[in-house]
Amino acid sequence: MNVQEYIESGSIESCVLGLADAAEQQEMERMCAAYPEVQAAREAFEASLEASAMAGAVAPPAALRDSLFTALQKESQQSGSTPLASAKITPVISEKTSPVIEMKAVKESGWKKYLAAASIILLAGSAALNIYLYNRYQRSSLLYQDLLAQQQQLAENNSTIQTRVNELENDLGRIRNPNVQPIKMTAVNNTNSLTTVYWDSTSAEVYLLVNQLPKPAAGKQYQLWAIVDGKPVDAGMIDLKPKEGLVKMKNIPKAEAFAITLEEAGGSPSPTLTAMYVLGKV
Amino acid sequence: MTTAITYQEPELVALLRQKEETAYRYLYDHYAGALNGVILQIIPDQALASDVLQEVFLNIWRRIETYDSTKGRLFTWMLNIARNAAIDMTRSKAYQNNQKNRELDSNVDRNVDGTTNSQIDHIGLSKVIGQLKEEHRVLIDLSYLKGYTHDEIATLLQIPLGTVKTRIRAALLQLRKLLT
Repeated sequence: MNVQEYIESGSIESCVLGLADAAEQQEMERMCAAYPEVQAAREAFEASLEASAMAGAVAPPAALRDSLFTALQKESQQSGSTPLASAKITPVISEKTSPVIEMKAVKESGWKKYLAAASIILLAGSAALNIYLYNRYQRSSLLYQDLLAQQQQLAENNSTIQTRVNELENDLGRIRNPNVQPIKMTAVNNTNSLTTVYWDSTSAEVYLLVNQLPKPAAGKQYQLWAIVDGKPVDAGMIDLKPKEGLVKMKNIPKAEAFAITLEEAGGSPSPTLTAMYVLGKV
Repeated sequence: MTTAITYQEPELVALLRQKEETAYRYLYDHYAGALNGVILQIIPDQALASDVLQEVFLNIWRRIETYDSTKGRLFTWMLNIARNAAIDMTRSKAYQNNQKNRELDSNVDRNVDGTTNSQIDHIGLSKVIGQLKEEHRVLIDLSYLKGYTHDEIATLLQIPLGTVKTRIRAALLQLRKLLT
């Protein structure tokens, strides 16, 4: 094809404007390489096209410049990690960063764990101390109750002893009384018994001290008699209690002797002489 | 920013390939307006045209390695990226739905014969295209600005494919004369 004819065919413009197919494009490249005139024609058209476009320039919105370069920088950072060498680095970096974050998390949770552990230990310690102290309190409480009981017992004992002492003092007081006459009553009929009557002849009071008397059979009771002018007078029933001391009997203003017989419970109007245990003369 | 500095094209291309941000700022400051003007002839809505323009510069950044200076000027390469991006946008469903709505609202923006936006007819490339004969202008509009293939234009205008090719060539030669 004639070079001038080619230049005038419109093929160059078609190619430059991107309207040509692949075959047409290849032909132009070949023609450009072979003929400087064709190359020159192409360059001239390109230059005039650029000049025309520059003349028809419409400034884009000012904001677009910033938005574009922000996008380009983002693109640059992304494409910066695309090459093989740095593609390997990127995961390493991310692996490096994530353990740092994890360590932070572990550190934090570790700190919390220690705190939690410490709290639990303190709680357990406190609970143990509470149990220990409660046990001790209970033991002390029991001891206290024991002591209280003992103290009460002692107080009771003391009061008993006091009563006893009072009684004995009373008894002793009576014995010491110069008006009181002790009358020893010795065993009759081998009864192996002994009693004593303390008799105040001025006040007529009679006190009996049972030194030894056999335990009476069921339904039987000892009875004290005063022998007044040869006749027995009831001086009271004897209640055998495990009590040592003087027992007040009926007042007897005058007597020659005292005797004790075993009678039916409740006493008899006259003594059963066969069942006499002790007898003592004034 | 650095508009005071001017680069020789090989030097600029070398810096662009190194992904030098200053080179891209220079490129934007020098060519964004020209490319925007061309995009606006295809997409008259500046908001949408801005989206396309941003995409164009991102594509320049991504594809600068594929630019071969023996096959043409840098601007020609960028212009083709811009034109293709704009045409792709017009073919997106979202854009077409939007256009239909706009057409329902008003058809003021468009000439009866479906040629370029009247608002920018008087400047640059569109001015040159506007100076073409009617039959040539329609062909340039359909092929260059709307991206229709020769076959599609033949069907659309109901003229033989051979005639489409001949007329487009004639229109392009006419365009060249008007440009120079």
